[in-house]
Amino acid sequence: MSSKMDTIWSKLDRKATAISEFTMRQYRTRVSTWAIMIAAFLALFLMLLFYAEAMNSEVEAIDNDNDGLFNEDDFDWDNLGAYNSSVGFDDDGDCTNRTTVSQRDTNDNNIECDIKIVWNAISEEWVIEGDIGVDEDPDEEKYVKEAGHRAFILGIGKFGIVYLLGIFLPLFLATGLVREEMSSGTMHYMLAKPIARGEILLYRIIGYLGIVWPYIIVICTLLCVFTGLMGPGDGFFRWADIGVWMSIAWATMMVTLVYGMIFCTFGILWKNGVVLSIIFAVWELGMAFVALFSGGDSPIQHFSVIGWGLTIVDSGVAMAWADNNTLITMGLWGGGHENMDWWSGFSENEPLPGAEPLSAFTGNPGLGISNWLSFILSTLILIVQAAVTWFIGQAIFKGKEVD
Amino acid sequence: MMPDLDQHGHAETKEWTPDVKAPVVMLDRVSKQYGRINALNGVSLGISGGVTGILGMNGAGKSTLFKLLMGKLRASSGAVRLFGTDPWRNSAPYSRVGFVPEHEKLHDWMTAFDFVVTFARLYGLTRDEAKVEATRVLDFVDLKDVMHKKIGQYSKGMRQRVKIAHALVNDPDLIILDEPLQGCDPLARTTIMNVIKELGRMGRTVLVSSHILHEIERITEQIVILHRGRVVALGNSHAIREMLDQHPHKILLECNKPKDVAKSIMDIDEVTGLHFVSDGKLLIETRHLGVVHQQLPDIIVQNGHQVTGIDNPDDDLQSILRYLTGGF
Repeated sequence: MSSKMDTIWSKLDRKATAISEFTMRQYRTRVSTWAIMIAAFLALFLMLLFYAEAMNSEVEAIDNDNDGLFNEDDFDWDNLGAYNSSVGFDDDGDCTNRTTVSQRDTNDNNIECDIKIVWNAISEEWVIEGDIGVDEDPDEEKYVKEAGHRAFILGIGKFGIVYLLGIFLPLFLATGLVREEMSSGTMHYMLAKPIARGEILLYRIIGYLGIVWPYIIVICTLLCVFTGLMGPGDGFFRWADIGVWMSIAWATMMVTLVYGMIFCTFGILWKNGVVLSIIFAVWELGMAFVALFSGGDSPIQHFSVIGWGLTIVDSGVAMAWADNNTLITMGLWGGGHENMDWWSGFSENEPLPGAEPLSAFTGNPGLGISNWLSFILSTLILIVQAAVTWFIGQAIFKGKEVD
Repeated sequence: MMPDLDQHGHAETKEWTPDVKAPVVMLDRVSKQYGRINALNGVSLGISGGVTGILGMNGAGKSTLFKLLMGKLRASSGAVRLFGTDPWRNSAPYSRVGFVPEHEKLHDWMTAFDFVVTFARLYGLTRDEAKVEATRVLDFVDLKDVMHKKIGQYSKGMRQRVKIAHALVNDPDLIILDEPLQGCDPLARTTIMNVIKELGRMGRTVLVSSHILHEIERITEQIVILHRGRVVALGNSHAIREMLDQHPHKILLECNKPKDVAKSIMDIDEVTGLHFVSDGKLLIETRHLGVVHQQLPDIIVQNGHQVTGIDNPDDDLQSILRYLTGGF
């Protein structure tokens, strides 16, 4: 038998594909599979309606410098690469037309009519000082649409897809993957074969991924196409967004692998394993919030699955949208107009609308290594998490009496 | 533990070879406890070749015995061996085993053909080999005509045959059938009995469990009787029958005048007791059932008695067990 065909495929196309194919067909015949997938699809596309409305609404221009002109001096910033840089251009000439050098160089960096940006390593933020009259009246509509578009993708991507979709699909689809067969009695047919229980667990998970992964890819592709066409920009499609959507899809695929393995193991461990799965999902929800609101570099988030998943997205974003941090920084600076906070008594820059949500949903990979490396490292760690869970799961399954 | 990377149907150890000197099925003082309940108690058996009937009431330990053999349960003490290998630790022997579980649950959404093909591939067969084998076994159990219909549409007897077909697809040396006749109509019953007898003739080792003695007697003469987790009798069914003849049997007559009938029957030497059970019913006790049955019709006809029914309330497993175990 073994000598007939000995390709890798003919080897795998026995037990492994038999169980995976069987599992995928089993999912397809169940109403619950379709119900959860359609429900998730509808929820995500409902959010897309809000996005479409925001993208098509007019944003009222604000006369930031009270000179009676609107949006006459927009941002002229390059990407903030260095720790100390000079950006900005005085479009309307209200800086360059000043008479003395000291009036044209109010930030004293010996460059006239520019904006001085210095990285403060202690407070870990950019300190921005502009010469008066430079980039002081930015285009709100342009900024809000760009920042809002990105904030939407990151919000729905990180929370809606990587966390919610990433946890609910396995919760409904993977918890009973082995347990349901055990309680219904159909597991007897599989166990009465020359196959290790660890193999059954592994091939069942592969079958589950065969349903869940294509679904994630389809969802992310559809959202990428819609937002890419509807989003702001000069071209007809926002090509740079593809990288972000790919990292969202990849993170969700990795996260559904680990959660699937964990929840399936909970199901093997206990017939009410879904209770353990829900408790675990709540922990992950907490970790998702920690990762989101710490800006992605909290060490605690690494004691979770979602923390690593979101690091994948953060690394992907840092690569695909290299100007993202610049966009946030300029929006938070907002033209350099200070407002007195009556509560604290301090003066603060008035941010442009859209800058704060984008800042909230953007995270730093936080691993102190290059973006590519953190992308790969996070992926590897998630795969290791899945492998370790498989090892524990098969050990529990092996010691389990199936009555 | 390790996956079978070559996928050729030997899990755990790729180079699994059966121990040819060991019996196909061997249990050495096997006990199994569920909490404080003893499901099996010091059972020792060695079986190789032919059809063996495992008889026992519900809860006697038949299913527990099979689940131990199929590696679903771990023995509390003692040794379980299939082809000389412990099935709890190593599932490799199942490459030579076919198992028909007792419960009815099947994958109703699949066709019989797909079901058998899918599970055939778990023995390490390729897709094409599995299709050929599935067609062969479904033909063997007389389901070839309907094999592309969903299992959900099948009758109980057909479902039972699908399970048997799936267990035969790897051409196993050992076939274990847990209550295969339960709930089947007479036609399916006959078909299944013939299939089992045929397997025995082909030299396979077959274990069949049942709680009905005469069913097993129609299939095989080699019987093991389990009662409350113990082997209470073992051997040829005729020998067991003879052993039973040492114990008093009962015959129940339904007639209009029991006392008159009793007077005539007292003439038969082998009758050891007569009881008037209820109105119109007479219970006869004897140690030689055959002799009494031979003489009874003549006596009834000669004396002109009106008898509406003759029944052997003893001819069930429960009474036999009562005799075998001395009522314990």
